[in-house]
Amino acid sequence: MALVIDSVSKRFGEVQALDNVSLEIQPGEVFGFLGANGAGKTTAMRVVLDILRPDSGTVTWGGRSNTELPHETWGYLPEERGLYAKMKVLDQLVFFAKLHGVKPKAAERETRDWLDRFRIPEYADRRAEQLSKGNQQKIQFIAAILHDPQVLLMDEPFTGLDPINAALLKEAFLEMKNRGKTLIFSTHQMETVEELCEAIAILDRGRIVVGGNLRDVRRSSGRQVVRLAVEGDPEIDWLATLDGVRVTRRGQDYVEAEVAKGFDPELVLQAALTRRCKILRFEIADPSLEEIFIEHVGQMDTSERTLAPRAVHA
Amino acid sequence: MNGWRNLFPNAWYVAEREYRSRATSRSFLIGTVILAAIAFAATQLPVLIDVAEGTSRTRVAVVVRADNMPSDSQAAMTATLNGQTNSSTHQAFVLSWYQGGDAAAAQKSLEDGKVDALLLVDRDPASQNLSFTLRTNLASDGQPVNVITNAATYLALDDGLARAGTSIGALQRTKVTVLPVLGSSAGPVNSISREVSTNLLSTGLIVLIFMAIITYGTWVAMSVAEEKGSRVMELMLNATTPLQMLAGKVIGNGAAGLTQYGIILGAVIVGLLAQGPIHRAVVSGSSTSDSFGGLSVPVLGAFVVLFVLGFVLYSLLYAALGSMVSRLEDVQSATSPLMMLIMIGYFMSIFGLQAIDETWVRIASFVPFFSPYLMLARVSVGHVEVWEFGLAVIFLLVAIAIALVVAARIYSAGVLLYGQRVGFRQILRAARVSR
Repeated sequence: MALVIDSVSKRFGEVQALDNVSLEIQPGEVFGFLGANGAGKTTAMRVVLDILRPDSGTVTWGGRSNTELPHETWGYLPEERGLYAKMKVLDQLVFFAKLHGVKPKAAERETRDWLDRFRIPEYADRRAEQLSKGNQQKIQFIAAILHDPQVLLMDEPFTGLDPINAALLKEAFLEMKNRGKTLIFSTHQMETVEELCEAIAILDRGRIVVGGNLRDVRRSSGRQVVRLAVEGDPEIDWLATLDGVRVTRRGQDYVEAEVAKGFDPELVLQAALTRRCKILRFEIADPSLEEIFIEHVGQMDTSERTLAPRAVHA
Repeated sequence: MNGWRNLFPNAWYVAEREYRSRATSRSFLIGTVILAAIAFAATQLPVLIDVAEGTSRTRVAVVVRADNMPSDSQAAMTATLNGQTNSSTHQAFVLSWYQGGDAAAAQKSLEDGKVDALLLVDRDPASQNLSFTLRTNLASDGQPVNVITNAATYLALDDGLARAGTSIGALQRTKVTVLPVLGSSAGPVNSISREVSTNLLSTGLIVLIFMAIITYGTWVAMSVAEEKGSRVMELMLNATTPLQMLAGKVIGNGAAGLTQYGIILGAVIVGLLAQGPIHRAVVSGSSTSDSFGGLSVPVLGAFVVLFVLGFVLYSLLYAALGSMVSRLEDVQSATSPLMMLIMIGYFMSIFGLQAIDETWVRIASFVPFFSPYLMLARVSVGHVEVWEFGLAVIFLLVAIAIALVVAARIYSAGVLLYGQRVGFRQILRAARVSR
């Protein structure tokens, strides 16, 4: 029953948007696409939805090709959000549901149910242009799920939302998961992924650089993170002298270090004990997704995350 | 995409939405009211013209220096002058008759502008025929001068007949067909006005199609660009197929267009029905205008068929071009190539009306993009065989089928391309690789 993307490639002129992408998403799973802007997340979703045809490769759901599956299989929340500005909320939700084959009466009932769930029943008769961005986003989410799709694809669903609306949407998200839906979403917010996803794929320039179960991905580098705090020595300078240990961050009350592949993080604990330090905190963790992401995509990321040097005018 | 299989009901839903949002939009309501008002006003033009003419009578002074004029010359002259104008609702000519009068005095009132024309009637001593001298500042080839000339000829003829012992009236009583050149009720005059009215009708119908294609085609393009610009398109793409959207937009906007046309047509009919009463109220007299001259059932039928097919063909292309832009401001420039094509067809048909039997008109009347105009022109003038019309319709249907496929391809590629104006080359490339 899995969603299988098999060796999919897609090229737009000079740009290789997807380069031999293969992955498998299990039914009922929450799956995250991670990647910088332009990495190919949206293209991957459009290929799954059969909005775009790949140059090569196939997509199947439950063994059936996506070109044969009805539209109703999918629910899609696009990255670029839009509604008919002049149309009433209820009217357009019913319209979208009808296009997906829902009977008009059922569509209206479902719409009103969901507006109630989101605590915005009074918006049914307002025009979309009268709604705030956050509320429009809720309407779009409803539009994506009204026809009870098996797979929900959401492109950057949490961008531009305030924390309250984001939390509300996450709850709706989890409800869909509890209903047995398969959820696929793209984001570049690592925390959200760590919070929600069971499996991920990190895309970079059309290629999957790492993918699979979230825990496996985090362990894929073989590195581990140690957080250490000892009494009377906030700097813990000796830590950097240990073999295979690299200090990555000095927090207010602890020091974070990365232990290279093949080294046992417990050696750090032993070293501390040997030095007769009084240990306040010792923690072994997997690298954060952000670190994994930077490790794989870092090269491109630094130029995106820093300003170009200031021009010097003589 | 599995678009061919299940065009409906989604195309209907799209069409319904398009129709509703279009027909309830402010611009539609305002536009319809204004156009209906203009159409109604246009139907009252004949009344206005009559009113305007009523204030500009041509005053003619006739100075008769000839002797032995027929006894009823003055009455006959007055009747001939006024009987020959298109409208019998008022006196277009006011006659001052000076039997044996003073030419100098009449000349003075001409110079003072008290009369518009001075007609001197003499008798030629040799032939005994009447001779006329017309002095006037009116245009020598204008209608008043022509009418006066005709009336004078009539007078001369009447005089000649009187000298031969009979009269025009006597001839009419003996059922002799009289003087088609002169008479106001004879055949040739009627047939001229009929031809004029047919030409007017053809031009009118062509303009109707021309306006409809441009206006409502632009609606389609705007609706596509708007959907793309507001990014609703992204939702629609997963809910429908490009073909369903295309069909829905063409049907919905076309129906909205037809609604507007229906309302305008209603205003015209009301206007024409009201013409009589209004005319009587304003000008006091009965109207004789013959606005429906030449409009027959076949012409109307051909108009409807060509109207619908022409609109569908062009609006498919409008939709394709609309999908290439994402801002309403860019719609006009994106659709300008289509505008050119429409203009070419329009001007060809307007010129073609003057040369309806030329070979190039015949050939062009089968070319799908021009046939809505040119075949209509030929049908309305009446020089067309049934098979010719059928062939043009078949060509149009084939063109629509091709346009549907091409437009759906451009559309499905175009709606995904955002950013600046998308060039034709880009579109073609995208259309090739997508679906």
